[in-house]
Amino acid sequence: MIVQTVLLIGLVLFSVLAILLRDLLKSAISLAAASLLLGIIFFRMNAPYAGVFEISVVAGLITVLFILTIALTKAGDEVRESRLVNWVFPLVFVAFIVIDALVMKSLLGKVPALASGPESGAFGDVLWKGRTFDLVGQIAVILAGVFSVLALFRKRDKHD
Amino acid sequence: MIILFVALPLVVAGVLPLVGKVSRRVVPDLLANATLLALFVTAAVAGRSLLADGPVLQQLSWLGEAVNIRLALDGFSLFMLLAVSLVGLAATLFSIDYMEHYGAKANYYALFLVMVAGMNGLVLATDLFSVYLFLEVAAVASYALVAFGLGHDELEAAFKYLMLSVVASAFILAAIAVLFGMTGSLDFTAVAQALRGLDAGAVVGIASAFFLLGFGLKAALIPFHAWLPDAHPSAPAPISAVLSGLLIKVSGVYALTRVFLNVFGLTPALSTVLMTLGAVSMVAAALLALGQKDMKRMLAYSSISQVGYIVLGIGIGTPLGIAGGLFHLFNHALAKGLLFLTSGSVQQATGTRNLDEMGGLAKRMPVTAATNLVGALSIAGVPPLNGFWSKLIIIVALIQAGHPVFAVVAVLVSVLTLWYYLLIQRKAFFGKLNERWAAVKEAPFWMTAATVLLALLCVGIGILFSSTITTWVQPAADALAGGVQAAIGSWGF
Amino acid sequence: MTNTWYLYLFFAAALVFAGLLGLLAKRNLIKLFIAIEVVSKGISLLLVGTGFAKDNVLVAQALVITFIVVEVSLVATALALIINIYRTTKSLDVRKLAQLKG
Repeated sequence: MIVQTVLLIGLVLFSVLAILLRDLLKSAISLAAASLLLGIIFFRMNAPYAGVFEISVVAGLITVLFILTIALTKAGDEVRESRLVNWVFPLVFVAFIVIDALVMKSLLGKVPALASGPESGAFGDVLWKGRTFDLVGQIAVILAGVFSVLALFRKRDKHD
Repeated sequence: MIILFVALPLVVAGVLPLVGKVSRRVVPDLLANATLLALFVTAAVAGRSLLADGPVLQQLSWLGEAVNIRLALDGFSLFMLLAVSLVGLAATLFSIDYMEHYGAKANYYALFLVMVAGMNGLVLATDLFSVYLFLEVAAVASYALVAFGLGHDELEAAFKYLMLSVVASAFILAAIAVLFGMTGSLDFTAVAQALRGLDAGAVVGIASAFFLLGFGLKAALIPFHAWLPDAHPSAPAPISAVLSGLLIKVSGVYALTRVFLNVFGLTPALSTVLMTLGAVSMVAAALLALGQKDMKRMLAYSSISQVGYIVLGIGIGTPLGIAGGLFHLFNHALAKGLLFLTSGSVQQATGTRNLDEMGGLAKRMPVTAATNLVGALSIAGVPPLNGFWSKLIIIVALIQAGHPVFAVVAVLVSVLTLWYYLLIQRKAFFGKLNERWAAVKEAPFWMTAATVLLALLCVGIGILFSSTITTWVQPAADALAGGVQAAIGSWGF
Repeated sequence: MTNTWYLYLFFAAALVFAGLLGLLAKRNLIKLFIAIEVVSKGISLLLVGTGFAKDNVLVAQALVITFIVVEVSLVATALALIINIYRTTKSLDVRKLAQLKG
């Protein structure tokens, strides 16, 4: 529990850093670190598949896509962010954390839940046999992403 | 074979880029239109007979082994499938000519078909997470379709649309996670049953608020509407037609209605919230539409306003109100689809969307002017067109349910709607022919054909409204009203 | 719900809030999208945390994996849009994207 909480705090810290850091590349790397921590958190929650996916896809693939975009849009450093934000953001965020903690404490035990029986089956079965329609959806969304990229990067001839 | 509605567009979409390398225009046009036509025929013909024995829950089997894909087809989903395939078919017909100058037609049709597959999947899903997933499928396809022209405005509109839409999806997922936590299940009926057993007023309220925020943004209800007036005008005309006519209704109104009526159940508090949001959208968007000079922007605000009508009707909760709301959903899909298509014809002929620059186009584009008039009168609610009947039913339902104020507001907004539509008609089509347009020609064949098809439907359904209601709308309303009966009053919050 | 659920809910809410704040406060398009990624992390954490609290991790994992696949498509599309915007306007400033009135 202690280790988990420390990891969770690290996750939030790196995520906030990713938003606040000025250098885009450092932001992307901070985001990757946060994903790594989240993956480890998943492992420790007996969710190894989610952990693997989080680390390889989000910390890996998505970070690469971000770095690619940063490289292709070199003027990114010239966007001047508001200086005020660097003060206001931490203050508002800490205020929220306090409210969050109080709300959670008051909610303890108030959210009713049906007790669920022990889970049966292997993960493969749950994914392939339990949520098969989701797999169709996954194929569809991958197709959507691929066609979107193809459409957005097509050779532009004259159009109005 | 209900899975056809999702599988067919996906398979054709997957094949299209390869086909596109060989044949740039003819075969993609053919494939896309044939797919939509097949979907329409299946929905119209086979769907009705499938439903003869009541709602169908189909469990698929693949090569003898049972595959766990459970799709549910009831009156409401069949109704939506019909709307999607009808307006989708008109849009693909229109695209045959309109998308010529955008290029990459195969790619366009592929995205379009994925969007259709997403919408169909959403409609047929039986559990909460699948609803979310197919909603995202349609959304991801739509972002690229809005930006398809790659001009500055389109990219800006698509980016803002994407940002807001992703936040909405996050809230929807959060609500789904909470429901999963409470009930241990994601299936509609299972969750509904479990919630009835639990005493969870406040948390259900929070989950409802999240759903309202998420689906409300997808449906462009005020105050979550900011993305629509930029996104719908910037998209190519057939995409605007599908976005305004279908996507906001399927991923917004349909999903909202399914969750609130069949899972949560429509409590009096929820009913009030929905009716208020609907009324606010109805009024505010109509007022905003008045000041617009861009033809498509005016149509976009009108969409927000009409979605307000639909949500108002469904929010009443009585069988008549739900039937009116659903009928208006269908009619608006047809009419708004028609209007965006005619605006595309006008834009292609004159190169502008600015109403002040147009004038007297009826002399050069008579068919477009006529079909535009049909669409405008339909949405404004002029008899004997279809829009009149659906609005009448909503107003009667309001009076019957004891909300005379809402009814009066609805009538007033109808008058306002008529006014700004006649404005479009007058500024663009009637009046003196602006010298610049002396040489424009009527829109190409397929574009005209698509608009004529929709216009004929508007007229036909207006005349045959009672049989349309009994065969299509009533089963849909019954499917929803059943859910209302079962769960009303369980929480009293 | 077991008490651990509230722990995960607390952190998930913090992440989502941080992301939303970032969306409101930042001007660089890529930063805005990083903020959205943070929101997604919050939601994934909530999903797996809920599954863990209910001893139902398998289903929760299936959901999160599907969610991550959706996220990849979203990131690809969004970054493609951003690159195109950069090519058209030579800038990544969201304030330059204010031509349409909304």
